[in-house]
Amino acid sequence: MSLAPLPTRAPVSGRRGIIGAMLVLPAVSLALVVLVGGIGAAVLQSLGLMPLVGPVRLSFDAYSAQSSSLPESIAVSLGIATASTGIAAVVGLAAALVIVSGRWGGRIVAAIGAATVTVPHLVGAAAIGLLLADSGLLPRLLGIEPGGWPRLVGGPWWVAVIAEYSWKESAFVALVVAGTLATRVARYDETAALLGAGRLGRLRFVMIPLCLPALVVSSTIVFVYTLGSYEVAWLLGRTYPEPLPVMALRLFDSITLTARPEAAAVAVVTTAISLAAVGLAFLALRRTAMWR
Amino acid sequence: MNRSNTTFTAEEYPALRSDHPCPRRRPGVAIAVAAATAMLALAGCSAPSPEAATSGFDSWDDVVDEAQGQTVQLWMYGGDEQGNAYVDDVLAPAVAEQGVTLERVPVSDTADALNRVLTELQAGRTDDGTVDLIWVNGANFSTGKQAGAWLCDWTGLLPNMEKTAADDPLLSDDFGTPVDGCEVPWHKAQFTLAYNADVVTDPPTTLQGVLDWARANPGRFTYPAPPDFTGSVFVREVLSSVSGGSDAVPLAYDDESFDELTPALYAELADLAPSLWREGDTYPASGDELNQLYADGQVDMTMTYGPATLTDLVATGVYPAGTRILTLDEGTVGNASFLGLPSNSESAAGAMVVANTTLSVEQQVAKADPEAWGQFTVLDYDTLTADEQRLFDALPESAVVPSYDVLSRSANPELSAEWVPPLDDGWRTDVLGAQ
Repeated sequence: MSLAPLPTRAPVSGRRGIIGAMLVLPAVSLALVVLVGGIGAAVLQSLGLMPLVGPVRLSFDAYSAQSSSLPESIAVSLGIATASTGIAAVVGLAAALVIVSGRWGGRIVAAIGAATVTVPHLVGAAAIGLLLADSGLLPRLLGIEPGGWPRLVGGPWWVAVIAEYSWKESAFVALVVAGTLATRVARYDETAALLGAGRLGRLRFVMIPLCLPALVVSSTIVFVYTLGSYEVAWLLGRTYPEPLPVMALRLFDSITLTARPEAAAVAVVTTAISLAAVGLAFLALRRTAMWR
Repeated sequence: MNRSNTTFTAEEYPALRSDHPCPRRRPGVAIAVAAATAMLALAGCSAPSPEAATSGFDSWDDVVDEAQGQTVQLWMYGGDEQGNAYVDDVLAPAVAEQGVTLERVPVSDTADALNRVLTELQAGRTDDGTVDLIWVNGANFSTGKQAGAWLCDWTGLLPNMEKTAADDPLLSDDFGTPVDGCEVPWHKAQFTLAYNADVVTDPPTTLQGVLDWARANPGRFTYPAPPDFTGSVFVREVLSSVSGGSDAVPLAYDDESFDELTPALYAELADLAPSLWREGDTYPASGDELNQLYADGQVDMTMTYGPATLTDLVATGVYPAGTRILTLDEGTVGNASFLGLPSNSESAAGAMVVANTTLSVEQQVAKADPEAWGQFTVLDYDTLTADEQRLFDALPESAVVPSYDVLSRSANPELSAEWVPPLDDGWRTDVLGAQ
């Protein structure tokens, strides 16, 4: 069975198009100033064109200064972001399917998801730390000595960091996916059921294709967010190797004035990886059935 | 690695001189810069003028007149409950009586406050900055001084400066950087180790003894990862210990001494790592995290620059009742901390009134009370009147923390601020990266 393509919207032309463009202009120009200004300043600083002290000189020193630890930092950041995004996507998708099922369980999951989204990441990180640390709430409740508890906080596998991101972001994914499903899922689902599709068949051929664009977009947001977020990795992570944002902020806050270009260089690298991830996600999005 | 890369002088870099409001740009990069004109307009001049700004006041009366109605933002480390309470409940009302409103802005790291000033200067905000006072010392002070972030030659205006000893080396030099009237002393501090006497029955008496104790008791000792302030000073203490005493390390930084002395330091710390908490696999990210480990009983020693706070922490049950100060035979480093006035402060006069108030006998006594904050005074006890001395004598004694006289016995001077970044960087590569 194949999905009927959505009716394509006719391109808007003429006066209405211009008016539409004018209406979004304030928002676009504001976003451009922030985006171009912020990223541009980071690029200029990283190239030595906006120094705090010393001469203005074009150089790539800031990029090579951290070359020994940068690959490891990139690997750790990508690992954390990939693991968090993967778990959040799977858990979020499952939660979204439960939410749109319309049963009472769905309402509970929706309420939990909505409550989770409102918790700031910093508070979430502190809560996870209190829960999972060696002398935290969980080992105390279970009566396990600090020595016998696995190294979740600050351990080699970044478990607490990934747990925090997965928990918070799966709620985000669930709400976004459930939101797009809610409007049209019942019609397609019932039609498929009437045509004799079983539960698994409906999941495979109706639900997941309907979810996919929203899932890809929300997962991309999660990936880019976790890649660039600082506080959770700093609070629950370990000293070495450092994720990219932790490294960037340490260098930015360094008492060495010349470290600021290095911080900007790390930020530019992070941004470049994020943009590449977004580019890949859009390529993937164009291949989904719903987009076509 | 370029180790002494923090040192810039106007001689080396003409662009640093203040007669260039914006640094000159090379023609080769002109196109790149022109392409970003809109952004540069946002950012203003690239580099702030490192020439120290001066106050421009002739007399103290002018300052007091100008200060009326001003609001002063004091940016300070916010992780110390007692310090916060002292500023909010004791200092702020005292300056309010003089017509100045004091607002405390908590920061997690003093570098955040300095960064705010540098960013404002970089953006061309040279006279309406949001930071009016910063609790500062050491490398943050010297970095700010290099970048021209401090107002200088203003401390002589303060009437209460006479109560401090002009020849006190702790007050005339800040980690080897001459103070030059760019900051006002606030209190003195002594780096101190503390231990749980219920567990450590035979405490070591030297720093080498502490390291040996750590090896004999695996997993019961650790230190915060530099560049955390406390972790950084611990590394400097170990440096003087492995070098054969604090006299063996020259206070002024030079590459030769660094190359000669630090291999032994990093070898010692890398060798110690497997005996530390979590086998040295990771370190507490801050002094607070180490204190938390100590409070939870995961380690048996902690360290602090503010030993006076220990009394209260034991009294409230946060720390074990057996907590005692570990005095070392060779002494530990002592320093003073200061209040710096950013050169772009909008309320400079108000900030001076606040700084002068902090140096009054009443405020220094109130601050020295262990139940309030317990910070050691910067005033010169001998020059005070008999009545004023009695106020200090009447302060309660602590069972946990000995008096400043005992703590600061054989106190060692801080290494110059130029030592700090290369030592911290070396620790990252040679100790952390060596695992």
